[in-house]
Amino acid sequence: MDKNNLITFKVQRYDPEHDRIPHFQEFMVPSGKCLTVLEGLLYIKENLDSSLAFRASCRMAICGSCGILINNYPNLACHTQIEEFHSDTLTVKPLPNLPIIKDLVVDLIPFFNTHKSIKPYILRQDAEEMEKPTAEYAQPPRALETLLQFTHCIKCGICISACPTSASDRLFLGPQALSQCYRYCTDNRDEGEKERFPMVDTDHGVWHCHLAGACSEACPKGVDPALAIQLLKRRLVSRAVALGKKQQPSSTVPSPAETKPKLPFPGFTVK
Amino acid sequence: MRQIQPRRNYLGAVGWLWAGNYKVERYLYILHRITGLGILFFLLLHLIMTTVFRIQGQDVWEATMAILHNPWFKIGEYLVVVAFVYHALNGLRLILQELGFLMVRPAPPIYPYRDSLRRKRPWTIAMIAVVVILALVFFYDFIAGGW
Amino acid sequence: MRNTYLWLLQLITGILIAVLLGVHMVLMHLDAILGFFGVDATKITSWESMIERSNQGIWAGLYIALLAVVLYHALNGLRNVILELTPSVRTERVVTRVIVAFGIVTFVFCSYVPIALLSA
Repeated sequence: MDKNNLITFKVQRYDPEHDRIPHFQEFMVPSGKCLTVLEGLLYIKENLDSSLAFRASCRMAICGSCGILINNYPNLACHTQIEEFHSDTLTVKPLPNLPIIKDLVVDLIPFFNTHKSIKPYILRQDAEEMEKPTAEYAQPPRALETLLQFTHCIKCGICISACPTSASDRLFLGPQALSQCYRYCTDNRDEGEKERFPMVDTDHGVWHCHLAGACSEACPKGVDPALAIQLLKRRLVSRAVALGKKQQPSSTVPSPAETKPKLPFPGFTVK
Repeated sequence: MRQIQPRRNYLGAVGWLWAGNYKVERYLYILHRITGLGILFFLLLHLIMTTVFRIQGQDVWEATMAILHNPWFKIGEYLVVVAFVYHALNGLRLILQELGFLMVRPAPPIYPYRDSLRRKRPWTIAMIAVVVILALVFFYDFIAGGW
Repeated sequence: MRNTYLWLLQLITGILIAVLLGVHMVLMHLDAILGFFGVDATKITSWESMIERSNQGIWAGLYIALLAVVLYHALNGLRNVILELTPSVRTERVVTRVIVAFGIVTFVFCSYVPIALLSA
């Protein structure tokens, strides 16, 4: 590590027990090649100020814990190189539009509750099969491709902080929940449209997306929530005007005995 | 255990206007909202003009028209025309994209990610170019018409 | 599906406005260029040409239809913007009622004028 190359981290601090409003604190962090912002924060925590609170877990952009606002752009701290910005100072703030617990830690529980409210699981009419499953539901690869992109969501809350509607509308479902709603509605194993559409077709639902595109721009996993929301709108409109074909929900995979006989177990080759 | 209320951190209406490093669609969203509200304001003035002043007869109408030939009102009218052209064409783009046209099919994300708005950005740029051209045509007419 | 129908109406009125007000804007503001093509639109705001139009029922009908379409598009858009600022369901109900009342009053008053002018 090159000790001479120092980067100034301007970190927003907020301790709910002592501070009334958040303030900034500056830290000098030695920088080098291939260092991420998260490693800078870990350096501060280890060497400069152990009271700094931030959340991180996997350090490889898969857990979605370390979403923060770096130079006024939301991103994962573990996913952003310090060198990217070509500057000596780095402003680090918690994600906006989510409540701050302490320093860089935001409260994701309302966000998760919104996600739960759109029923992010397979819904079927046949309750008995859901309670006591006999086999899995069939899904051809082509059907999987229509939703695979949206399953990459890691629930980091970055799209919520990028969305201009979420900035002012507290009851807005947000890009994450709406895109997940589409992901389950378009699943060929699912028949829960009747239960989910009343959730998103409200005064604070899908029609308050105005296609600013910031969620897709900021998404660190390339989920493209804006695309999912527009496709959800298309689906709602096609149901409203009764146009477009409705896919039949897939049936369960026939048990192997009905398809073809099992191969006989080969006999021992070595006596 | 002490319960501490988390601090609210909504950007509010500032979050509509502040677009930071986001790309062109984010700015078009702001403009769409501003032009919409501006045209609504103009619509109310226009309705008052064409009803309250219109019904009072020829003298009042011609006096109103004389006031409206003031250069400042002409500039205002030009801004309304440009706002209308922008709001109409951007609205057309929004209709197409919100109905799933001019969007790409979902595909497994491969780094570097290119979202569907970015892939269809040439169309957005073309829309902006048409708006600029129409704004220039209307501007030429305002000059040629001698204010 | 209430909000979907509201949005669909917003879409349809938007397209109608883009076409009708497009014609209106061209007639009102492109008079020099229209004159080049042989269409005289310079006297469109003069009193005589307005009297001529307001005596015809088709113009009055067009004005009233355009008024309804424009008021729906504008006030539904305004309501969407305001709903993004209001946190509680109660304020929303007040906002909706005020906007609907404003729309009805404006529509009734402004559509009275072309009807009254038909016989004038």
